[in-house]
Amino acid sequence: MGAGRKLWAISGGFIPFHSNGNEPAFTSRDWISVLNTTSEEATLTLTIFYDDGDPIGDFEYKVSPRRVKKIRFNDLINPLPVPLEKAFGCIITSSCNVVVQFSRMDTGARANTIMGTIAYCE
Amino acid sequence: MAEWSNWSGSLTFEPSSLLHPKSEDDIVDIVNKCRDENKTIRVAGSGHSSSALVQTKDVLISLKHFKGIKSIDKEAMTATLMAGMTVEESNAALEKMGYALFNTGDVDVQYLAGAISTGTHGSGRKLQNLSSMLMRVRVVNSQGDIVEYDHKEHPEEIKAFRVSLGSLGVITELTVKILPLFSLQRMDVFANIEDCFQYFDELADRYRNVDFYWYPRRDEVKIRILNDLETGISKLPFRHVVQSREEDVVGKVLPRTRELRFDETEFAFDAEVAWECFREVRKRVKEKHRRTVAWRTLFRTIAKDDSFLSPHYGRESVTISLHHNAGLPYREYFEDIEPIFNAYGGRPHWGKKHNLKRDMLKDLFPEWNVFHQMRKQVDPDEIFLNEYLRKLFNENKD
Repeated sequence: MGAGRKLWAISGGFIPFHSNGNEPAFTSRDWISVLNTTSEEATLTLTIFYDDGDPIGDFEYKVSPRRVKKIRFNDLINPLPVPLEKAFGCIITSSCNVVVQFSRMDTGARANTIMGTIAYCE
Repeated sequence: MAEWSNWSGSLTFEPSSLLHPKSEDDIVDIVNKCRDENKTIRVAGSGHSSSALVQTKDVLISLKHFKGIKSIDKEAMTATLMAGMTVEESNAALEKMGYALFNTGDVDVQYLAGAISTGTHGSGRKLQNLSSMLMRVRVVNSQGDIVEYDHKEHPEEIKAFRVSLGSLGVITELTVKILPLFSLQRMDVFANIEDCFQYFDELADRYRNVDFYWYPRRDEVKIRILNDLETGISKLPFRHVVQSREEDVVGKVLPRTRELRFDETEFAFDAEVAWECFREVRKRVKEKHRRTVAWRTLFRTIAKDDSFLSPHYGRESVTISLHHNAGLPYREYFEDIEPIFNAYGGRPHWGKKHNLKRDMLKDLFPEWNVFHQMRKQVDPDEIFLNEYLRKLFNENKD
């Protein structure tokens, strides 16, 4: 079975615009860390939701068996990028059980801030 | 009449006729009829260009039936190809006979005639653009005559035809330089932008094909390096992450398939000023545009040539291309950066989006008048110009 669930949701997405420091290490960003403890490759499908437009997607990723993968929302590109400084939510479906952690790093101010939380799952 | 659309979807129009001639005689008939009826003709390729080069309310021709290699001259190392061949088809057909084109662009879906006629290029400090390989051309001219121009007998005409934007006639055959089939080693690496600034010129001097993509949302680069198998690619003197490493024949290892559709603008610069220009573009994109712009910027090197309308005429060149997802508004982005390109003497890629008018173009291209004198002689009634080209070319149509 593996740890986690197949359906995850994030509602508080918002990629900061300003960054300080060397990039890409210190690029302000929203990202998810996906843990796949199963023995099969996980196929993830991400769909992005906004407060003023239709959802965009699907963005597809693979996570190898017994591996973790980090996906920056800043880097989503096909079919469309996620605008910076715009509220978004995300539904993540997986072909097998995974654990999804959502994090944000904001380097736009003098003191860098970072936060992380486990995403909602069903 | 079916709507015609380009690759990115940003250019759509309905010609009055979309014709698919099967022979030169068919083309002669079309040209004569159009001339008699005061209509204009444009020739469409695969639609990869995003400028309005083929947009017309009159007659649009597809040369999709003009396929195949007509002949190979082993002594001169040239191949005569039918004008409906794509770059990919040309390399695939040549490969079976043990030959190859010397270079391709980042993609090879374009018609070879279209790629040549627009000054399309690949990367390589010692490699000229694809237009430079044109040695002889067979064309249906505005009088409906079939004529041939050879680089030895008609050097000035060939300099015009090499980058002619379809304005000198309907090309039916191209004779191009070829090389014995060769393979390349390719390595794509991700690296820090500062290391790219420090080491790129060294790499570009050392290896056959070198360019890089800059990713605005990460401020890092992907450097692509290709070299002959004998010399190979040495260990790079800076931190990097290898994305891929492969070897294959040139027509397979060099071009890539692009699933993501995008619109593009590109300008060519004197290599001496290109870094300063790129730094200014990067600063502007980071400050103003990366809220919505996420797709990459491409930096390539090209050797100088002497084709009259070539963006690389007379100067060792670097091109900088901005890419933006198809379907997103591109004008605000491209038009905000274009003044930076203009300030550094950038010459536009004819097949990509730009806003330059005749008054600027004639100063940027030293042989502008020579080309247009020739064009007016071979097509006095301008049946091979559309509205877009008339505005670019003609003094009283700005």
